[in-house]
Amino acid sequence: MTDERHMDEEGNVGDVGPGFMNATPESIRESVQGYLIGFVLAALLTVASFYVLRTGLIWAPGIVVMLAVLAVAQIGVHLVFFMHLTTAPDNTNNVLALVFGIIVVVLIIGGSIWIMGHLNERVMPMYPSM
Amino acid sequence: MSATEVLRTPHPLDFDPYKVGHGEGGGHDYVTGHGEGGPASKRVIVGYGFWLFLLSDIILFSCLFASHAVLQTATAGGPTGPQLFDPMSVALETACLLISSFLCGLSAVAAGVRNQLWTQVFLFFTGIFGLAFLLLEVRDFTSLVARGASPQVSAFWSSFFAVVGCHGCHVTVGLLWLGTMMAQVYFKGFRPNVMRRLVCFNLFWHMLDLIWVALFTIVYLIGEGR
Amino acid sequence: MFGKLTLNAIPFDQPIPLVAGAFVFLVLIAVIAWVIVRGHLPYLWHEWITSVDHKRIGVMYTLLGLVMLVRGFIDALMMRSQQALAFNAPGYLPPEHYDQVFSAHGTIMIFFAAMPLMIGLMNFAVPLQLGVRDVAFPTFNSTSFWLTATGALLVNLSLVIGEFSRAMWLPYPPLSEYRYSPDVGVDYYLWALQIAGVGTLLTGINFVTTILKIRAPGMSYLRMPVFCWTALAANLLIIAAFPVLTATLGMLLLDRYLGFHFFTNSGGGNMMMFVNLIWAWGHPEVYILVLPAFGIFSEVIATFSGKPLFGYRSMVLATMAICLISFLVWLHHFFTMGAGGNVNAVFGIATAIIAVPTGVKIFNWMFTMYGGRIRYDTPMLWALGFTVTFVIGGMTGVLLSVPPADFLVHNSMFLVAHFHNVIIAGTLFGAFAGITYWFPKAFGFRLHEGWGKAGFWLSFAGFYITFVPLYAVGLLGMTRRLQTYDVPEWRPWVLAAGVGVLVLCGALFCQVMQFIVSIRQRESLRDETGDPWNGRSLEWSTASPPPAFNYAVLPNVQGGEPYWQIKRRAIESQQLTAEPDYKPIELPRNSPTGFITAFFCTITGFALIWHIWWLVGLGLFGAYVVFVWFAWRDREEYVIPAEEVARADRARRRAREEWLAQDAAREEWLATHAHPSAQPVGQA
Repeated sequence: MTDERHMDEEGNVGDVGPGFMNATPESIRESVQGYLIGFVLAALLTVASFYVLRTGLIWAPGIVVMLAVLAVAQIGVHLVFFMHLTTAPDNTNNVLALVFGIIVVVLIIGGSIWIMGHLNERVMPMYPSM
Repeated sequence: MSATEVLRTPHPLDFDPYKVGHGEGGGHDYVTGHGEGGPASKRVIVGYGFWLFLLSDIILFSCLFASHAVLQTATAGGPTGPQLFDPMSVALETACLLISSFLCGLSAVAAGVRNQLWTQVFLFFTGIFGLAFLLLEVRDFTSLVARGASPQVSAFWSSFFAVVGCHGCHVTVGLLWLGTMMAQVYFKGFRPNVMRRLVCFNLFWHMLDLIWVALFTIVYLIGEGR
Repeated sequence: MFGKLTLNAIPFDQPIPLVAGAFVFLVLIAVIAWVIVRGHLPYLWHEWITSVDHKRIGVMYTLLGLVMLVRGFIDALMMRSQQALAFNAPGYLPPEHYDQVFSAHGTIMIFFAAMPLMIGLMNFAVPLQLGVRDVAFPTFNSTSFWLTATGALLVNLSLVIGEFSRAMWLPYPPLSEYRYSPDVGVDYYLWALQIAGVGTLLTGINFVTTILKIRAPGMSYLRMPVFCWTALAANLLIIAAFPVLTATLGMLLLDRYLGFHFFTNSGGGNMMMFVNLIWAWGHPEVYILVLPAFGIFSEVIATFSGKPLFGYRSMVLATMAICLISFLVWLHHFFTMGAGGNVNAVFGIATAIIAVPTGVKIFNWMFTMYGGRIRYDTPMLWALGFTVTFVIGGMTGVLLSVPPADFLVHNSMFLVAHFHNVIIAGTLFGAFAGITYWFPKAFGFRLHEGWGKAGFWLSFAGFYITFVPLYAVGLLGMTRRLQTYDVPEWRPWVLAAGVGVLVLCGALFCQVMQFIVSIRQRESLRDETGDPWNGRSLEWSTASPPPAFNYAVLPNVQGGEPYWQIKRRAIESQQLTAEPDYKPIELPRNSPTGFITAFFCTITGFALIWHIWWLVGLGLFGAYVVFVWFAWRDREEYVIPAEEVARADRARRRAREEWLAQDAAREEWLATHAHPSAQPVGQA
């Protein structure tokens, strides 16, 4: 996110690869801090996920939505704090690849559920135990 | 052109700057992804290639998730998931994997400053927590089978064991890789190719945790939430 | 000790596979003996088997594809002749053998002929067109190739040890489940594809990384040749689709080996889930095969029309649109499964829509030819044959995208004719166009035009004589995969298709002769300039064959069609650019990693097929040790000294200077160049 262009140890500038972290003796504190923040956030979100199920505070049909939101948030935390994905221009390729992957994942899971659900509705099972 | 040269530290050898996977070329736009700058550095190339591999791995998991979603109710008269899941064990596994992922990140910081001792220590504990996760999972599996929920019982349990087992296999392979990397760091030091592999391993390990987030949410929690 | 493997696995009672297997075995032994006796083994090992050079790997891929194409074609011959004989008669192939033949035909043609041909041409041309030294991961590239070869080996091994799958080229359960196919046939199929699939996935990663991260300075996205764009799209599809194949086949393997219930009738399994998932891979696969071919045609048509490609940007947009939409249409392969009108309508419409970008491409090619000075060399003939034939195949495809129409011809010979129409006209014609186009670049001499043209015209005619009757007989109600039939109305059409396949035999003969004659007459077909076709992209600027390092100095790209601009500048100023300052070049060292890994994978695959568990462990352990050993090596690169680079490049420059001095060449170039529409556009 900084204005400077990344330079790796071989003295090259340009794009950064995913997982890139510029750890130098000066920035060691900063790097550890990043991981700590990520760890605490992820832990909180995990605890929240497990808690949502046990507490009666949330309207039952909303639980699934809530769980999905928490999971997406935690995946985001992992991507940003552990895998160092940013929105900087040098990360464009990494983000684009991720977006392509997510589109495919959504199409496969969503498509399968839709198609097979439709099928199950229309094609009656031959005997009830199925 | 000149700005590039200012930014670039001189290459130790008077070699061709455009050899496979090295150098950044003579264009005026440093962001090689946009094409002006010539070949990207090897570190970027390796990282990006591995990133693509991880995406393909996520797509592989997505098929297993899709099967699990479709076969959610196909218990064929056998036990259902929520009847047999042990939420405490799942929570413990989650904690182990998250701590392992965090420690792995710290090892990357240590490796970044070329500290052999701390790199090894963090990698070692990364492995310990990974192993703990794996053992808990094996215990879960054996207890499920003992209570009559083996993958041969119904399509639901088939899909459950496939998706969780596939993640477990990844962790196992990751541990094997981790051991190999520790040996490499010890014998070869922090030379560039070892550093690149460490970055890849880090990504792999974080990705396994990321998959686990999706997994415990979809397989355990949402299954129970329904 | 040997699992299910006993001597009974060798089919002594079936003469056809036994004789065929023995013949192949003898040929193989003869070739190996010849190589050893003549002392070629060290050369083969050092220069080819362990090579990580993308050009060598590309040539090996293409060779594998051609050999497997012949194998698949022999299967096709058997099917056509069986159907020609089997009217009210049993024919000469018993059902269980006939079922293996059509399963093997589809499997081999898609995975081990079409895929290696396309990947081979990408391997050869993409790094050259990008103006760089090699792909991103050269050793993985070699591993990819050898894993693909492993898959091909396992499939062919099934000819003599055990049997091949009888469950079609996509093994639909429940037929492919253990209960109904307890023999090793399906296992051969599954493990061969799993191993080859890993290789293909590595290729996909390798090429996307190469195209996005390793390009010559100045080669921005919109200056890349269209072939690079289509290769990018195809490899993105590989990355997205092949994991789906691996996962789906993996689930079937779990069903077969460990008694899981994903796709079984019992235990709540859902066999339609297999159909759903396998086509989520299968449809993108179609575009993985055809997109690179589109790229080849774009290069060929622009070159042989003497004009820049019309509508470069729309071509890029169409390619990327196809890349995305190809993930939205998979249900059209199973409209009849029983999903409702909504689902079928959505996928039907998406299928009709994907024809739009393809149509854009067809128009772009036509406008490229319009007003150009077309040279009818062999590659251009393939491209023209493609344009006409592919449009017909595309039209029948749009017809099939309408669910009610699809219901009528589902699984009929009409469908068979449709997909052969698009895959042969698209991928196969594309591969032949690419091979004749880049052959002089790879080997330094052209292919013989006479035999090449004869090969094209016989293929073109043979294709129509074979498949137009199949369209007709499909509309008459003939379903696919019939071992015998008794409908007299079908007979003449089936016989006509049989005649067509004989014409295709003639085409095959001409193609083989083309290689033999060209190699024998290579001195007279020699290409000294490195630019035999008056090309437009960078690969034609280096020598033929290119040196190991491709370019002495990476070209500095200043616009679209960079080599055309370099040539124009050279001709206008009557001299080449000043001699560059040669530097030593570092290249990746050759490595046997790929070959040895594939060796262990072959062992593992074979052991898994026959349930020889100790050998499975041994093979996996071996593969792991090879990788650690590879990771342990200290020197990854070797250096080519500056003097050697200079020597190679000066020879190339001398040839180019001679060319420049030839008035004829200059005039020819100027004549093309003078045409108003021949100005390069797309100065992105």
